[in-house]
Amino acid sequence: MSALLEVSDLTAGYGQVTVLHRLSMAAGEFGNVGLFGPNGHGKTTLLRAISGLLRPNSGTIRFDGEPITGLSPRAIVARGLIHVPQGNRLFPDLTIADCLALGAYSAHARPHEEANREKVLSIFPKLRERWRQRVRTLSGGERQMVSIGTALMSHPRLLILDEPTLGLAPKIKDELCAAVLAISKGGVPLIVVEQDVEFLLELSQHLYLVNHGEVATEIRPGQTMDHAEIMSMYFGH
Amino acid sequence: MGASAEILFGGLFQGSLYAMMAVGLALVWTTIGVFNFSHGVFMMLGAYLAWQFVDIGLPLPVVLPLAVVAMAAIGWLLQASVVRPLIGRPNIVLVVVITTLAAASLIENGVLELWGPRSKQIPPLLEGNTTIGGVGVSMHQIAIIVITPVILAALWLFLNRTRLGLALRAVAQNEDASLLVGLNVTALYGLAFAIAAALAALAGIFLGGYRFMSPVMGADPLLKALIVVVFGGISSISGPIFAAYLIGFFEAASNYYFGLYWTPALLFAVLILTLMVRPEGMFARSSRSLA
Repeated sequence: MSALLEVSDLTAGYGQVTVLHRLSMAAGEFGNVGLFGPNGHGKTTLLRAISGLLRPNSGTIRFDGEPITGLSPRAIVARGLIHVPQGNRLFPDLTIADCLALGAYSAHARPHEEANREKVLSIFPKLRERWRQRVRTLSGGERQMVSIGTALMSHPRLLILDEPTLGLAPKIKDELCAAVLAISKGGVPLIVVEQDVEFLLELSQHLYLVNHGEVATEIRPGQTMDHAEIMSMYFGH
Repeated sequence: MGASAEILFGGLFQGSLYAMMAVGLALVWTTIGVFNFSHGVFMMLGAYLAWQFVDIGLPLPVVLPLAVVAMAAIGWLLQASVVRPLIGRPNIVLVVVITTLAAASLIENGVLELWGPRSKQIPPLLEGNTTIGGVGVSMHQIAIIVITPVILAALWLFLNRTRLGLALRAVAQNEDASLLVGLNVTALYGLAFAIAAALAALAGIFLGGYRFMSPVMGADPLLKALIVVVFGGISSISGPIFAAYLIGFFEAASNYYFGLYWTPALLFAVLILTLMVRPEGMFARSSRSLA
């Protein structure tokens, strides 16, 4: 079985600064992929390149066997590769109802709008209570729920979550982690960037440590890795 | 009776024109985050196109939609040529001020070349005059006062009740997030410009049926629309609409009591006062969004 997403020899950056150096990875092959590593070493840049927000300098990205390198974010969304960016400030003056409707904007997602909305509301029942509330009036956790819910409305075949629990209070964080696990059990493969190693180990079967814009270590399913080892890789020896 | 009727009527009429202009400026600002200084030229060009269509013998009910649609296309083209290539630059706000001013100057002089300096006039929407509350008014002005709120309401419904309107409001709030739900952001930018240009053209046709047209006829309405959006706040579509009518009434009252010469000075006094007291505008939130 080949991977749903294959990134090979990807080089990308901003202006004169190259952030990713010939990075290769694959996802959707065996379960969920977890990306971890220090801040500022290219995780978010990698995700932005995959979803088309950033045009890579070289290398290829294939989704479902077809090259998507350099396609517009719209064309990539239409293939079902959906990205929830970090610390999403979303659409502050839209209501939750509006955001979810927007998630189903793409033509491929529209036929599933009704079913996906029910799914989102069963995963995040809180959103139903605040249905007509503007996003700016929600708490950080609720906003993150709207972000993920909007992405689910786009009918993802592969869902990218960039630090979904960043800066949340422990109770909300647990709630969100449970929701992410439920989404994964629902059959959507994930790529998750997360600083909480416990959660990342629980969620993902396939891990990449990204350091200096390269894959420093890959942990494939079957290989065991405990918390202490990951911590030592994280912080150096 | 005469005074209040005259002020009420003058305010409604001027307010209608300002609202049509200001809403377009606000739409472009909220969606793209740039200020369009060729907006006044859109108004003028719309009026001249209408005049041209009338001149070749088309009836007014045909001319009106034709000129408006043509201006929407021109607005789209202008956006594609002098705004879109600059999107993503850090200094885009300032650069677009210059490119749209340059485009305005080119179009203004092009119109002068093409149609000449002689003043022109478009036939009014409705012929005839009437008297309301002791004030003589033309049916054309009454038509404008009635039509404008209908058009503004339609725009509001489009923005708030349709999927495409929702997409336009979303782009105004967060471009990256809009891209990530699969919106065609460049097309939506074009659409914002096209709608703004169409509304300006309509305002131009309204004005051209009432006063003489000249290649610089858009300059004063643009200035007034600027005052309106600064006064009302540019972060929403309803702010400039309320502000347009308020400024319209203010101008009408000032014209009546202090005369034509004092009115611009008083308007700018109001503008300066607003900037001192509430720099984000009277009806605005501090963020940029269409709601």
